[in-house]
Amino acid sequence: MTHEDSRLWGRRLLRAWAVLVGLTVLSVGAALTGGSGQRSSLLAVAVALIASFIKARQVLDHFLDLRRAGGGWRGLFNALLLVILGLCFALYLAAGTSRP
Amino acid sequence: MSDAPADWGVLSELPGNPLMWVLILGELLVFGALFVGFAVVRLLHPEMVLAGQTSLSIPLGGANTLILVTSGYLAARAVLARSTSKVAESRWWLAGAAALGACFLVIKGVEYADKAAQGFGIETNGFWTLFYLMTGFHAAHVMMGIIVLGIVGWKNSVENLETGAAFWHMVDLIWLILFPLVYLLR
Repeated sequence: MTHEDSRLWGRRLLRAWAVLVGLTVLSVGAALTGGSGQRSSLLAVAVALIASFIKARQVLDHFLDLRRAGGGWRGLFNALLLVILGLCFALYLAAGTSRP
Repeated sequence: MSDAPADWGVLSELPGNPLMWVLILGELLVFGALFVGFAVVRLLHPEMVLAGQTSLSIPLGGANTLILVTSGYLAARAVLARSTSKVAESRWWLAGAAALGACFLVIKGVEYADKAAQGFGIETNGFWTLFYLMTGFHAAHVMMGIIVLGIVGWKNSVENLETGAAFWHMVDLIWLILFPLVYLLR
């Protein structure tokens, strides 16, 4: 590995970490806008779930280096994440908890 | 005996030890089932779940998320350092990752103590049973991950480090889904 490869790898990891921190702050901030004991707004819920998906992708692609694997593997992990988060979101909506 | 690398079939495409990826997939499925189970309990008892969630601290959970993603970054830096033959540097990165993992556990312990002081135990109701089950199972993985990081810091080959860091990233990945579902979706 050349010095330049190593430098680019380090920058890629730093960028992924910055995205993870930024999305965490965003989703926590959105959740805290609601009052204590109140249900979350649909916007805050959407922000939390989309941020969760993007963060999971960052960890898979950059920290776990899944981007080096074939498209089939990335597709499998994408599908698994979407099924878990999608099912939880659908059940959340069915519970009627998105209404204030 | 042949020195050729083992043929893992389609698993050979994955970085690091393929068995770790089998574990990652398995853990995602197990925790995924728990998360969906939690969502079903919310569907059946929305007021009970909302009342339980109101007792949780979003800032504390958010702080733990920042700690864990930063720890994951340090573990990834350890692999990068070892890949460029910087053995001592990789150990420092790993030590940092493990120390942040310990911070995560301390905060989790403070949270559990606070909930216990408020009278919320594992048998209080379905919400608290699932809360302690999911977060406790995850915390057990964090403890195991710290041990794994210690072992691969000692037996410091590139493959060992990649495999140990992969376990740590899996623990991180699960928390990134658990935190919004349990703490944020109210």
